Amino acid sequence: MSDGGTVHVEVTAIEQITPQIKHFTLRPVDRSPLPAFSGGSHVVVVMRAATRVHRNPYSLLSAPSDRSAYQIAVRRMEESRGGSEFMHTRLQVGSHLEIAHPVNLFPLDKIARKHVLIAGGIGITPFLAQLEDLHDGAIPYELHYAVRAAEHAAFAQRLRTREAGRVRFYFDSAAEAIDYDGLLSGQPLGTHVYVCGPAGMIDRVIATARRWGWPDSHVHWEKFSAPPTGRAFEVFLARTKIGVKVLPDQSLLEAIEAAGVEVPYLCRGGVCGFCQTRVIEVDGELLHHDHYLSDADKLRGKSIMPCVSRANCKSLVLDL
Amino acid sequence: MLVTGIKSKPVYAPLRADPSGRYHLLLGSGPGAAPLLQVLTELRGDAPESLARSRVLFAPDAGTDAGTDPGADAGGGGAAGAFAAAGVAKLRTFADSGALLREFESVLAASVMGLRLYVAGPESFIGLAMKIALQFNLNTDEIRAQECGSKARRVRCVHCRETTEDVRTNIVQCVGCRRWLLVRDHYSRRLAAYMGVMVDAEAPGELPAVQEVFP
Repeated sequence: MSDGGTVHVEVTAIEQITPQIKHFTLRPVDRSPLPAFSGGSHVVVVMRAATRVHRNPYSLLSAPSDRSAYQIAVRRMEESRGGSEFMHTRLQVGSHLEIAHPVNLFPLDKIARKHVLIAGGIGITPFLAQLEDLHDGAIPYELHYAVRAAEHAAFAQRLRTREAGRVRFYFDSAAEAIDYDGLLSGQPLGTHVYVCGPAGMIDRVIATARRWGWPDSHVHWEKFSAPPTGRAFEVFLARTKIGVKVLPDQSLLEAIEAAGVEVPYLCRGGVCGFCQTRVIEVDGELLHHDHYLSDADKLRGKSIMPCVSRANCKSLVLDL
Repeated sequence: MLVTGIKSKPVYAPLRADPSGRYHLLLGSGPGAAPLLQVLTELRGDAPESLARSRVLFAPDAGTDAGTDPGADAGGGGAAGAFAAAGVAKLRTFADSGALLREFESVLAASVMGLRLYVAGPESFIGLAMKIALQFNLNTDEIRAQECGSKARRVRCVHCRETTEDVRTNIVQCVGCRRWLLVRDHYSRRLAAYMGVMVDAEAPGELPAVQEVFP
């Protein structure tokens, strides 16, 4: 998806729901029905700041059946590259934004016999929409939600009311921790586990599931990395024949877009592989930060995911 | 009428142990004993502790329901002894594959995530086992199967929806509607059957040569 397929929306409500998280309601400016989506989808929000354009992915947390508005929740990152900062400080009710059509890289397995959902902090957001799909169905599920402290538990009230008996909270402040072995050692055949949260939590779930013999097809995670910052570097686009400078706090993809060249993308978080770009020549080192290319591919150095990866190089030539 | 080159026809490969699993359930019928023994041998080498969590369900007779006495079956007795010697933790033999598959279903209902399923036997036995495994949402990375023994097919009549068992020929008369059916490679995992379509619809009575193609 490039910006050709965006929807113009208006911010119709903003609520500060935890010290760091704001909840936004977005309605289409022309009030026509929004594109349909399924639980686990995200949208890329295009933020036109004064000096640059930010494009950040946020999970949709509203009910998939509601096509009049989308809801997202944004955590203000301590080391924001500008996107979450923009969402928190520059938007008011009535502000306009562009969003790309929803994409689902974190869907529920349709024929699972049970779902185990594990959320850490802001990682609760994709599950909120999935719970809307699960709530009235016949498939058993349980949600485990770990946060720093009670005041950081976004949507706790909604979950306690709607998911009573199916949700369990874990507060770091009370020294409560998820018992991953207990959780993954006795689930019935046909269970799928889903995790969205900090990298450490995702790694723990994957490692524990493997230890108990879970096959990869039953383990699902969503790990959107914000593009890491780094040293500035220069890249030459061979087909369009232009040189682009990538600033320290800019991603390679953002720099290419700012130069007016469109690269197809979906997740902007190093997961989906959509923006994979061929490396024609590199004098230096590629800094791969994605979760898509295999280790062997990363070593080979013939491809790069410009949404999160960078380079430490004298020169880099891409097939764009 | 496309008969071969259809992607839904299952492809099987020689059985190998999958030490990434925690529990190992081995299902066999007739000549399937040898590949299952090979799996147990590999487990003993790669993940010896997992032998304690292995289980074999075996029907010495390759599928017919002709009231075989499991104790009296010499071949089965031999296989049972070999399984025990290979170190399997739990072993049950069955008079016929139907009884085996009923037990298989209740074992799956009581199983937890981490199971690997190995199936060895005639193709129709594998298909029926896969059909049950599918109901428990076992995915391709949890199941391995090796075909050995008869290639006789279960054929689903697309006209009357009856299933004709033990089909060895390219053309077969449907047990339900008596139509003559061409047996295609188009396979349904949900039904554990190949599709059969009427072969003489345009020229009634004109049948191609009937040949044994699924020995």
